[in-house]
Amino acid sequence: MVGLGGASASEAAQLARLEEQAAHGGGGAWEYLCLVRRLKVRRPEPVLRLGLSLLNDSKARSKLGSEEWTLYEQVAIAAMDCQNIDVAKDCIGILKKKFPDSLRVGRLEGMLLEAKGAWAEAERAYAVLLENNPNDQLLHKRKIAMAKAQGNTTLAVDYLNKYLEIFMADHDAWRELAEIYVSLLMYKQAAFCYEELILAQPMVALYQISYADVLYTMGGMENIQTAKKYYSSALQLTGGKNTRALYGVCLCSGSINQLSKGRNKEEESSELQALAAEVLTKEYKRQAPAKLPIVTEMLKTMKLS
Amino acid sequence: MGLGFVVGIIGGFLIAHAAFSTIQYRGELKIMEEQFTGPPFNVVIELLGGLGLCLWAGLAVPTKFLSILPHSDENRVVSLPANLDFMVFNHRGKVLPSNPDLKLKI
Repeated sequence: MVGLGGASASEAAQLARLEEQAAHGGGGAWEYLCLVRRLKVRRPEPVLRLGLSLLNDSKARSKLGSEEWTLYEQVAIAAMDCQNIDVAKDCIGILKKKFPDSLRVGRLEGMLLEAKGAWAEAERAYAVLLENNPNDQLLHKRKIAMAKAQGNTTLAVDYLNKYLEIFMADHDAWRELAEIYVSLLMYKQAAFCYEELILAQPMVALYQISYADVLYTMGGMENIQTAKKYYSSALQLTGGKNTRALYGVCLCSGSINQLSKGRNKEEESSELQALAAEVLTKEYKRQAPAKLPIVTEMLKTMKLS
Repeated sequence: MGLGFVVGIIGGFLIAHAAFSTIQYRGELKIMEEQFTGPPFNVVIELLGGLGLCLWAGLAVPTKFLSILPHSDENRVVSLPANLDFMVFNHRGKVLPSNPDLKLKI
């Protein structure tokens, strides 16, 4: 299942509100759990606490009907994330009794072995499942995650590349590959992955910001100029509100000025830099006025350098 | 919401009544062997009234409409999903004390 773009600002606010409300016993636990599932955020502790409170209450459990099993799965994964292996084992046991021959439950059992640290056994379990279901995406991804967890990043990259040859449209996998490449300092390959992501989802500003970050890190006049373009594009997509993109524009302009000191200055629009600096100071004045002096100092030094 | 429903039901009823009147009118015309040029004036008024009421109810009864513009403030993506398919469990959270009270009652 390919994930869609993540949470918008209103959805993130709604999530925070529901979490607050449910934490103080004000109900809304089931809505919170559904929202977490829909937005695909990682909140193991609240999910575990609220999910268990729903599952231990037999009245609430019977009200859920057939969604009860999805909740068991969600709580099992949250328990594994919190290293609460007993709860996870119990949930998976209940699911196994209800769905004895299910691939989904088999995957959960494999994840439980992973969480316990029993890598060889997990490997064997996944191999067995893959024999019967060779085209299951999530099984391949768990193998990659296991290689990553054991610290074997080159193997993970290998597996990921093989996976992406078959399932080329999987954005999550491209993102994962880009992040692994960045951690291995292989920036050219990471840039390639981000380019694929931008082609696939051109309206998501965050991919463009990450791509511009990688380009800026690689350095060199052309890369920094392209990075500045992508930061500006990200600013356009977010309505000028993304602080990281604003910083990106300022820093890129500063670097370009520095790099082109010896040569003749091409009259690029210095309007962009001035505007970005202005919006940055305004945002800081609004949200974190205590840090404003640091920002103004930094911008002043960049304009002079 | 209740008012919207009632208005919608009234509008629907008006339209149904207009349809019934038109059928009755055509029946009368058949008896008098004249051509059917169009429904009578009051039926047209009734139709327009029913249309207006149904339109109003259709917009008022559903809850807040979702925004479809990609550039509107509500639709801007602020954070990406956490890539849960590649989630690993041997992170630094392992050393945090787990709450022993959390147990599943079978």
